[in-house]
Amino acid sequence: MVHLEHVNCTLGVAQALKDVTLHVERGEFVFLTGPSGAGKTTLLRVLYGDLKPKTGAADVAGVDLMRLRGSQLPELRRKVAVVFQDFKVLPERSVFENIAIALEVRGVSSVSIDKRVRAVIRALDLEERSYAPCRQLSGGEQQRVAIARSMVVNPELILADEPTGNLDSDLSRHLIELFKQFNTYGTTIIMATHNREVLSWAPEARQVHLVRGQIVPPEPGAPGSVLDTKPIIGGRL
Amino acid sequence: MSTTKLFLRGVADMRRFPLPQLCTLITVCMVALLAGTGLLILHNVQTEVLRTQGQARFQIYWKVGADMTAVEAQWTDLKRAPGVAEVSTFTPRAALSELMRGLAPKTSGGGLAQSNVAANASGNASAAAGSPGAGEDFSWLEGDNPLPATALVSFNIPPAEEPEPWMGRMYARLKALDGVEQVTYNPTQLTLATGWIALVQKAALPALGFFALVVGLVVGNTLKLMMLARKDEVEILSLVGARAWFIRAPLFANGVVQGLLGSVLSLFCLKFLQSWLRSVLDVPPLFLKVEFLPLTQCVALVLCTTCVAGLASLIAARK
Ligand SMILES: Nc1ncnc2c1ncn2[C@@H]1O[C@H](COP(=O)(O)OP(=O)(O)O)[C@@H](O)[C@H]1O
Ligand SMILES: [Mg+2]
Repeated sequence: MVHLEHVNCTLGVAQALKDVTLHVERGEFVFLTGPSGAGKTTLLRVLYGDLKPKTGAADVAGVDLMRLRGSQLPELRRKVAVVFQDFKVLPERSVFENIAIALEVRGVSSVSIDKRVRAVIRALDLEERSYAPCRQLSGGEQQRVAIARSMVVNPELILADEPTGNLDSDLSRHLIELFKQFNTYGTTIIMATHNREVLSWAPEARQVHLVRGQIVPPEPGAPGSVLDTKPIIGGRL
Repeated sequence: MSTTKLFLRGVADMRRFPLPQLCTLITVCMVALLAGTGLLILHNVQTEVLRTQGQARFQIYWKVGADMTAVEAQWTDLKRAPGVAEVSTFTPRAALSELMRGLAPKTSGGGLAQSNVAANASGNASAAAGSPGAGEDFSWLEGDNPLPATALVSFNIPPAEEPEPWMGRMYARLKALDGVEQVTYNPTQLTLATGWIALVQKAALPALGFFALVVGLVVGNTLKLMMLARKDEVEILSLVGARAWFIRAPLFANGVVQGLLGSVLSLFCLKFLQSWLRSVLDVPPLFLKVEFLPLTQCVALVLCTTCVAGLASLIAARK
C-alpha cells in the first residue's frame, strides 16, 4: 500500500524528513509516533500528495508520488482519505452535505449518495444531527463527520493526523474503536499521534517512531511497543 | 455531477459570502461604468461627426449694395440646386440685426436661436423689425448698411466623389456667381471628420483589448480575494479527490454572474449619467443632445464584461 525508500523532504530550510524508508501492507494499522515537530505531519502530507519528496522513491496505492502530476492528484485522493486534528469540515454545510461531498466529486448518483450517506450517518450515530450545520456540532461530532466522510467512499488507505488531538479521553477512545473496526474490514490505516494513551488502546497496531525527521526504534517502555512484533525500521525489508 | 448542477451550486453558494460578493459586484460595476462612459463619449462624438461628415459648408458673401432682388433669385436657385442640404440666408438688414443682438448685453437666453430661425424662415429682414433687447442703437446704420448679403449653404458631397477636389470645384462655381464677392469654406473640418473616423477604427480594437485587460485584472484580483473566503472549501474538495473542473465550475459560474450583474447594473448607472449629462448640456449655446449607447454596444459591454469576468475567475481559481 505504502512504499517509501530513502525519502528526503525539505520544508523551507529545514530538512523535515531524512532518509525515510517505510513499507505498509494492505490492511495494516500503523501508528506514527514521535514528539511534536518530529515530522509526522510532513510524512502524511507526502503520502497524500500534498508535498513532493526531494529525493527517494515513493509509491502510495499504486501511484508514483515522484512523478505525480496535478491531474493525477484526484486519482490518489480517491484512494486515500485524510482525517485531521482540526476536522476540516465545512461549518456552514450540514452533516449530510459534508459527507455527501466526497461522493459528489466522484460522480455518484444522488440516489446512491442518499443511501450511502444515511448508512454511514447511522453507523456513526449522527442521525439526530443529519441536517444541522456543522458549526453547531461538538468537536467529537465534527470529527465523526470527518471520519464518516472518509469512510463513505471506502478508501484503500486512511491517513489520520492527530485525529484525537482536540477531543477528550472518552471521545478519543471511541474514535480509536471506530478506526479499529474500520481496519478489520480491510482498510489500511496510518495514524499520527503523540498521545501514549491512544497507543495503548490499539496495542496490536504497529508503531513507527519518528524523531527529527528520521525513523528510529521506539522508546523503551512505550505502550504497545513490547507487544509490537513487527519490524519497526524499514518495515518489511 | 453535471456541469449545469455545478453552475447552479456556484450561484447558490454566492449568498454564503455576501460581503466579498458585494465588493466584487461593486468593483465590476464601477469598471464597466468607466468603460461605458468611454463608449458613451465616443458614441456621441462619432454621431456628431457623422452628422456633419458627408457635408461641406460654404459661406457666400455678396458685394455690399448688391441688388437684393437678383440676390434673392439666386437664393431660390441655390435652394433648388441638387445636393443642397440646407441654406441659411441673411439679408444685410437681418445680418445687422443679428449683429446688434450679438453686441447687446445678454437679455434673453434664446435670442440668438430665435433670430436664426426667423432669418431662415423668411429669408429677409422682417426679423430685424423690432429689437427690444438691443442695448445699443445701430439704427443710424440702416440707411447705409455696411454689411453684405450672405448665405450659408451645406451640400451633401456625392458619395462617389473625393471630398476635397469636389469642394474645390464647388468653391469655384460659387465664386463665379453673379455679384458674389467672396466664398469661404473650411476643408479642415472635413479632414477632421475623416481623421476622427480613421482614428476610431484604428483605436477601437486596442482600446477594447485594454479594457478587457483592466476588467480581467481587477475582477480577477477581486475574485481571488473572494476565493480566499472559499479557501477551506477548495482545500476540502481537493482533499476528497475533486477534479479541477469540479472545483472551478462553481467559481466560474460565480464570476460569470458577477460580470453579468455588474455590467447590467453599470448600464443603469450609465443611463442616469446620460440623463444628467443631457439635462446639463442641452442648453444654449451647446444644445448637445447626449444620446444613450445603441443596443449593440450595450450588449457588447455586457458580453465583454461577463466573458472577461468568467475567464478571470477561471484563472483565479487555478492553484
Ligand atoms: N510549512 C513549513 N515550513 C517550514 N518548516 C516547516 C513547515 N511545516 C513544518 N515545518 C517544520 O518541519 C518539521 C516537522 O514538522 P511536522 O511534520 O509538522 O511535525 P509533527 O507533525 O511531527 O509535529 C518541524 O521542524 C517544523 O518546524
Ligand atoms: Mg503535526
